[in-house]
Amino acid sequence: MTHANDAGRRAAQEERLKTVWASPPGWRYWSAVNNTEVGRWYTVTAFVFFLFAGALALLMRVQLAVPDNSFLSPQLFNQVFTLHGTVMMFLFAVPIFEAVAILLLPTMLGARDLPFPRLSAFGYWCFFIGGVFVCGSIFFNAAPDGGWFMYPPLTTDTQLTGIGADIWLLGLSFIEVASIAAAVELIVGVLKCRPPGMRINTMPLYCWYVLIVGGMILFAFPPLIAGDILFELERMADWPFFDAARGGDPLLWQHLFWIFGHPEVYIIFLPSIALMAMIVPTFSRRPIIGYSWVVLAAVGTGFLSFGLWVHHMFTTGLPSISLGFFSAASEAVAIPTGVQIFVFVATMLAGRVIFSTPMLFAAGSLAIFVFGGLTGVMVAIAPFDWQAHDSYFVVAHLHYTLVGGMLFPLIAGAYYYAPLVTGKKLSDRLGRWVFWLMFSGFNIAFLPMHFTGLRGMPRRIFSYPSGLGWDWLNLISSVGAFIFAFGVLLVVWDFLFGLRKRAAIEGNPWNAGTLEWISPLPAPEYGFRSVPEVRSRYPLWDQPKLAREVGEGRWYLPDAEEGQRETLVTSVLDGEAEQCLRVPGNSFLPMICAALIGASFIGTAFHLYWFSLVIGLAGVGAIMVWLWRGTALIPDRQDSKDVGRGLRLPLYVSGHKSVGWWAMFITMFGDMTAFISLVFAYFYYWTISPVFPPPGPDGAPLGPGLLWPAIALLLLGGAWGGMLLARARNGADHANGLRWALILSAVLALGSAAAMLWAPWQAGLNPTEHAYTATVWVLLIWTALHLVLGVLMQGYCLAGSLAGKLTARWDIDIHNVVLYWHFAALTGLTTIAVVALVPLVA
Amino acid sequence: MVLRLRDKADLWTLLMPPAVWALHFLFCYVAAAVTCAKFASVNLNRPGTGQILASLEPLRLTIAVATIIALILIGISARQAWRHWGFGIEDPPHDQPTDEDRQRFLGYATLLLSGLSFVSVIFIALPAFLIQDCR
Amino acid sequence: MNVWLAFSSPRICRALGPWLPLILFAGCSGPQSALDPAGSEARIVGSLFWWMLGAAAVIWAAVMAIAAYAGRQRAQPWSDRKAGRFILICGALLPTILLAVLLVFGLRLMPALRAPGEALRIHVQGEQFWWRVSYEFPDGARIDSANEVRLPRGVRTEFVLTAQDVIHSFWIPPLGGKMDMIPGTTNRLVLEPTQSGRFRGACAEFCGTSHGLMNLEVAVLEPAAFDEWAQQRRTATAPPPHPGQALFLAHGCNACHTVQGTPARGRIGPDLTRLSERPSLAAGTLPNDAASIERFIRDPADIKPGARMPSFTHLPPSDSADIARWLEAL
Repeated sequence: MTHANDAGRRAAQEERLKTVWASPPGWRYWSAVNNTEVGRWYTVTAFVFFLFAGALALLMRVQLAVPDNSFLSPQLFNQVFTLHGTVMMFLFAVPIFEAVAILLLPTMLGARDLPFPRLSAFGYWCFFIGGVFVCGSIFFNAAPDGGWFMYPPLTTDTQLTGIGADIWLLGLSFIEVASIAAAVELIVGVLKCRPPGMRINTMPLYCWYVLIVGGMILFAFPPLIAGDILFELERMADWPFFDAARGGDPLLWQHLFWIFGHPEVYIIFLPSIALMAMIVPTFSRRPIIGYSWVVLAAVGTGFLSFGLWVHHMFTTGLPSISLGFFSAASEAVAIPTGVQIFVFVATMLAGRVIFSTPMLFAAGSLAIFVFGGLTGVMVAIAPFDWQAHDSYFVVAHLHYTLVGGMLFPLIAGAYYYAPLVTGKKLSDRLGRWVFWLMFSGFNIAFLPMHFTGLRGMPRRIFSYPSGLGWDWLNLISSVGAFIFAFGVLLVVWDFLFGLRKRAAIEGNPWNAGTLEWISPLPAPEYGFRSVPEVRSRYPLWDQPKLAREVGEGRWYLPDAEEGQRETLVTSVLDGEAEQCLRVPGNSFLPMICAALIGASFIGTAFHLYWFSLVIGLAGVGAIMVWLWRGTALIPDRQDSKDVGRGLRLPLYVSGHKSVGWWAMFITMFGDMTAFISLVFAYFYYWTISPVFPPPGPDGAPLGPGLLWPAIALLLLGGAWGGMLLARARNGADHANGLRWALILSAVLALGSAAAMLWAPWQAGLNPTEHAYTATVWVLLIWTALHLVLGVLMQGYCLAGSLAGKLTARWDIDIHNVVLYWHFAALTGLTTIAVVALVPLVA
Repeated sequence: MVLRLRDKADLWTLLMPPAVWALHFLFCYVAAAVTCAKFASVNLNRPGTGQILASLEPLRLTIAVATIIALILIGISARQAWRHWGFGIEDPPHDQPTDEDRQRFLGYATLLLSGLSFVSVIFIALPAFLIQDCR
Repeated sequence: MNVWLAFSSPRICRALGPWLPLILFAGCSGPQSALDPAGSEARIVGSLFWWMLGAAAVIWAAVMAIAAYAGRQRAQPWSDRKAGRFILICGALLPTILLAVLLVFGLRLMPALRAPGEALRIHVQGEQFWWRVSYEFPDGARIDSANEVRLPRGVRTEFVLTAQDVIHSFWIPPLGGKMDMIPGTTNRLVLEPTQSGRFRGACAEFCGTSHGLMNLEVAVLEPAAFDEWAQQRRTATAPPPHPGQALFLAHGCNACHTVQGTPARGRIGPDLTRLSERPSLAAGTLPNDAASIERFIRDPADIKPGARMPSFTHLPPSDSADIARWLEAL
């Protein structure tokens, strides 16, 4: 083969890759699902929400600049601070992690895309629709105004809080679902989509953080979703979960909210620290020192962060000993956090540090975050918190941790990764201005607040009289806030206008060692010219020939002959190549599904229940179409493929080797967490009630009885057995056996769901009467809905079998559905055991 | 015998020490909350009856036992990790793309996590011994 | 513990003042300042704060110094082994020891801060946006009031804290920490004032539109003065005759308000007995004079958005002025 011939072949390969991965032109551009496009939209949208919430903060600072100000009415001020917190937390801090991870993760993993591109796009559109809905409410004077943690009974009282509370609950629930979807995708991405040879001990630290944070989202968000369900049921149907007069307790919401809320702080913090873990080694010109320590810190923080929630409830009058446990955990979590910081310092000490704008922001982050961490250690001591809680001291503390731990590293990351995404560097000269404006502005704004708070200023007050020693401190804070905002505007200006004028740069501007810098800049849509085998934590430093080999297409998947989007799937621990995964291409379906489901949520907020039901069902239908056309794709010509270098990989794998099985498994973990939160609510009422369950008119404890729950359980067992049978028949290549087993199982499941709902109905349990009866209903409805969803899946399998999509050879769907049914059966068993047996024991 | 729990380190062995911490934490919190709610009536619907001063003596013993069990489990995990790490013969970073280094890395990280979990379990047990009643 | 408590907050504040410009600028004093303690709980927590702040400042400076050193170009970078030991010692061991010490200290503090009270018990119920106050004496006698608490100096007074409508939080920073008032729960807080004088408290949990206008007047009296006041209040006397009283009753104010010694027995709104004793009106929102009272009567929502009291704009101006003058003189 001549040289010219070779070059021609390579150019043709590259051309095919480009075509296959290209985003469509014109208006069809918005059907793109590739991580490069979705990641960009996601990042920009989250950043716009950040600017919006920042503008709200400036309004507050204007109002509070002088005593007795009337710039904002109390009603508007309450909406402004509620929306500021809500948008910053739910529409900026968490989504920006997902955005950046979707954008960067594949480039670090040598993957062409994440395993479920359409899921990323769906998540993005959910986020966009929900975010615009929540933010837009303030322009109609209808924004939520109960504080970002929405404590009932203020917010469950429909007289005191209007539609804003519904907008908050439904808009954010919708976004939370999207967050969980993104978490599932990122976890599977890290575990299964690494390049060959990248073992668990050589993957970039960023991936470790993404893995941990994904896991945390999976366990932190579902309790809030469960709480939202209870909350919305109380607002709309008067089920008294948080009404003390009818056996409920407002504190239950605080528990559920903060079981989510505190891990969330670390969900925000860890991904930003992850960016630092990429930046610091690059500018220290050496591998990170203490890679294992970082893993310790990330995993340790991930766990400990779930034992902190009551430190937001130190003043609710819980017994000292309970406070003590959470105080102890709150102190303990400082240990792994400290380790992370010292790992960076140690890496700098053992390297030769080059100063740069990203490092400047990293240094600023250190100064601010360490300060916030130290005040955090203070407020973790309950007696001090009794003074500091809900005062401006806490406002100062939380901004020190979040701005130091999240925003500054993020800006550092923006300077660092701008060339990767745009192909150009941001201005270093302007960067210094941005830094000093933001750094000084931040400290001028927030340092005085520590003293404002200890001098007695509670948070969330719309105005204050003079003469309490708060006047000057507040004025200084307001000035600082504007200086800070000016710094932020400057960096926005540089992105929007400054960047255009600058020259494009060649690859790897920082001389970094990790895989994302291997491609020409800006990174092409297909990501990698070919997917290399990685043998080091810093392949660009340790495998000098790698960049050229990858660029010349000498590694895996250098081509897209069949015109399909392909990426590699590898094993969890050792990164052994397992599959060549074909991922679906551009489609409007994710957007349509998000719009339909979003409309259903929005309709519910406006009490348009029939509209919501119809459009929600249309959304479910659209999702079915999406699944049918985009998942478990059967390869058309051959079932394996030579991916290069003589490596032949299957195109279709099922069971626990398939990414879909992992996604189902992980999703169901989240689902179980939400369910356990509901069970927790049940037992929470047990602890607070002197008599539980409350006695009925006949004096016996209220309950759904034994007969119907027992029937439901029997039928459920049958349905589950039917699914096992269906899988076995399919394995034996017995299509009719599969179909009949599916039908049998579906009938039994529907019967079981009906028996579950009939049980409390025939026992006359009235959900508006008492928190207990409401909880029994919620548990049973939750379970019945899971069974109905399971029947939907069975129908899908049945259709697949009839269409020849599901056979003994092509059996992804049946394996995943059986997996779902394991969890559904467990949910049913637990529910029935709880609701039927507890009244019996009492 | 315990040492043969798992010959190969993986993500589950990595998560074992903090999982023990989580279970211990949950146990302590639930035990204390239920004790105070059910036996000492801290809800205080009749304030000042003195019940809040109800002693936590029996709870302390329970928590002591739970703590010892948790520490032993973490110790087992640490010993196993120590073995996976190769008894510390080789220093980190364990960054070679080999089965041995993957095993050593997981062992070392698990060992560090055992240390953190061990300290955290002791932290969590402290309140039970420094706070005597349900006030 | 007594040794470190000797470094009381004001003393530390004064001592630090000249050295830390910000503190000098801000000062520590103020009627609502936790850093200017007038009660033993606030004093303990204040000292705890200054100690923690001092330690935090040292730690912060040390970390910054190490980081600055690490950022400089050095002839010889540290070896991996040395850097690893640095993480172990500075990143893991030292923080663990420091945190353990702080934790043990903090935990041991808690029981003392929640020790039971003596003799006097004050029931305070949070309302939107005011405080319902009721003193309970050891003999069972009760005195009702609103928006102001009076405490005898040196007595550990127990507050019994409740709420009906939404969550509030009871906070008198110069006396001690806060405690939430949660519907369905009865919370308890014990405070021991050590200095007589006037202080200010506030609702610390967001409770609705006028959360910012829910403040509390606090008067700490010498024990003898407190007893004298209590004795006076316990022997209710009719207020001096005034045309305002009849108008008050005629316009139905008595449906919601109580004035002892008159037929006004309403329990929905704040008790107005001896209103003149209170330094401010509407939970620390307005000065207590006839003009403000009249303004409030005519349009409460203008002053306190979201307040439950209906407006009385329809009253003839002379009537509202008479009512206000009567109330001012109570």
